[in-house]
Amino acid sequence: MPSDLEKAMESLIMVFHRYACREGNSNTLSRRELRELMENELSNFLKSQKDPGIVDKIMKDLDTNRDGEVSFEEFVSLVVGLSIACEQCYQVHLKKTGAQK
Amino acid sequence: MPSQLEGAMDALIRVFHNYSGSEGDKFKLNKGELKQLLHSELTDFLTSQKDPMLVEKIMNDLDSNKDNEVDFNEFVVLVAALTVACNDFFQEMQKKK
Repeated sequence: MPSDLEKAMESLIMVFHRYACREGNSNTLSRRELRELMENELSNFLKSQKDPGIVDKIMKDLDTNRDGEVSFEEFVSLVVGLSIACEQCYQVHLKKTGAQK
Repeated sequence: MPSQLEGAMDALIRVFHNYSGSEGDKFKLNKGELKQLLHSELTDFLTSQKDPMLVEKIMNDLDSNKDNEVDFNEFVVLVAALTVACNDFFQEMQKKK
């Protein structure tokens, strides 16, 4: 029976591949696949940014080897960044509500 | 209704805080809390490494600011590295099919 952490890690892989396999190289996200992933999986984040060019900017940031594709390793850095930002908000919330265990 | 990706990120934060909140600084893992987390959440990984000193080594690697605690930023790096390794394995299996 996988742990919560193992299930979360598995989800990251499954989500990535669900979009990566749609066109071209099935192990990388093209710009279009990245856009689709973000629109479906991170719609709240996209809306909060209010920047129509955000996906292109994120693509540029993630595609560190400049091959026009986002590999899993490059994608995971986005997930890390967003998780860290969310955790900061969560800490602020916990401190405000005094809901520490 | 959160997406699968949002659910996964939420789980990373919840798992971390389930263990970090046990003792001392509620927002960081001390060595004992890290050990509990690794044993409970990554049992297969620990047993596959067969190294009794592995938790110590991981603590050493993750604690980049050397304050003997692992905060979420440091922890998520471990998760990222393990997930990339799992994905590499997954991609290899896909190729063999």
